[in-house]
Amino acid sequence: MPRLSRARTGGYNDCRVRPFRGELTVAFDASGVSGAVVSRGLRRPRLRSFERAPLAPGALSPHPLEVNLHRPEEVSEALRLVLQGLDAGAGRVSLILPDGVARIGLVEAPAGVGPEEYARFRWAQGLPYPAAEAIVDVLPLGAGRAVAAAVRRAVALEYEAVAGRAGLSPGRVDLAPLAALSALFRDAPAEPAAVDVILGDAAYCLAVSYGGALRVLRNRRRDPDAGEADRLGREVDRTAAFAGDGTSAVRVRVVGPGARHLIGEMLRSGRAAAPGWEMEGGRLPVEAAELAWLGAVLG
Amino acid sequence: MSRPDFSTSGKRPDLRAADMALLGAAAVALALAIASAAGAWSDLRRATADLTAARREAADAAGRARSLEGRRGPDAALSSRAFLTAEAPPPRVMADLESVLPGDVRLVTLTLDYGERLNLVMQLSARHAASYDQFLQQLQQSPLFADVRPGEEVRDGGVRAQVQATYRVGR
Repeated sequence: MPRLSRARTGGYNDCRVRPFRGELTVAFDASGVSGAVVSRGLRRPRLRSFERAPLAPGALSPHPLEVNLHRPEEVSEALRLVLQGLDAGAGRVSLILPDGVARIGLVEAPAGVGPEEYARFRWAQGLPYPAAEAIVDVLPLGAGRAVAAAVRRAVALEYEAVAGRAGLSPGRVDLAPLAALSALFRDAPAEPAAVDVILGDAAYCLAVSYGGALRVLRNRRRDPDAGEADRLGREVDRTAAFAGDGTSAVRVRVVGPGARHLIGEMLRSGRAAAPGWEMEGGRLPVEAAELAWLGAVLG
Repeated sequence: MSRPDFSTSGKRPDLRAADMALLGAAAVALALAIASAAGAWSDLRRATADLTAARREAADAAGRARSLEGRRGPDAALSSRAFLTAEAPPPRVMADLESVLPGDVRLVTLTLDYGERLNLVMQLSARHAASYDQFLQQLQQSPLFADVRPGEEVRDGGVRAQVQATYRVGR
């Protein structure tokens, strides 16, 4: 289990001298807006500051087709509070869109064809909107395999616009599940078979890998009611059957909002599960595993 | 692992290993160029300083040369006097002077000053002014004498006058 590092608090350099303000990342989800400033030096990246502002239900609803920001002024106000708490100032920012806004899938491109190009070709007729409106990109896994995702341009533009209204200059736009996958693959578990559960407020991903290679990727919308944890546990069990030969021990890692609750439920029901990552120091207002994108930002 | 980008402004290219290698090579080349430029600049400053020093030394040497040329030392004056004494002894000067004296012009006194040059100061007495004028003319035209400067003249029927000239050696 990777342990993420955070800046020592109270240091003179942190409080008085800030020659380098760090990289600002802002993540959106239905339950709130989060921001993190990460400094990159010669050593591994360090979390300099973190801030989160909650959103009222319905202000932001991740969806691949329809309007996501139903009450954009509330999202803007939450983002303003986050930036105020971070003392990040205006500048270029990396945006992380929530799970549920994109079509996500595992593609295996033929030799000589780029995965991104292949995904665009395969999904051109299957997307529920014109292919010209799709922004397609991939998380390469090697040997022509990749996790591909398609985001509707209008949806991405909504999030970029709210960042622009806050005085930020949107730079790279990533997806929370892809960010989580990149961090989880970078720190492959010791066991050959693994199931990674990446939770979002509106959707979740199940990634099954064996011997370090991703075999299955499933993306589902969440149904958050009283029995969701049990349903998710059984879904993990069914998905774990795709991993390995059925006899190997399967390592289950969980990240994203609700990760701690799901891990607890699974442990109580006799299943093995652990957070995808933890952070030393415990100064985050939430557990590190509750932030699906944190591992990628600190990677 | 390159990170995906779903921004509407277009994906920014990731830096690959080859790009990083080229970037590193460019940085090394830049560092070498800066070091070379710094060395060349240092050489230029050194050469400029050397040139200035050489010009100053040349100017000093020229000044010393001019000073030495303008101020002949006692040795030079002495050697010149010895040379003139050997080459133009008084009998020879007298003989050459007599060759330009008309018959009625008499040399009253003659002073020979052997220095860097042999200067002659003559007191003359001429019975007729025309003879004295003829003497001056012959003295000026003679290759043996130069810098003829007529001095004070007293014309009282005849002429008594002082004349200065320089004797030319080796003619």
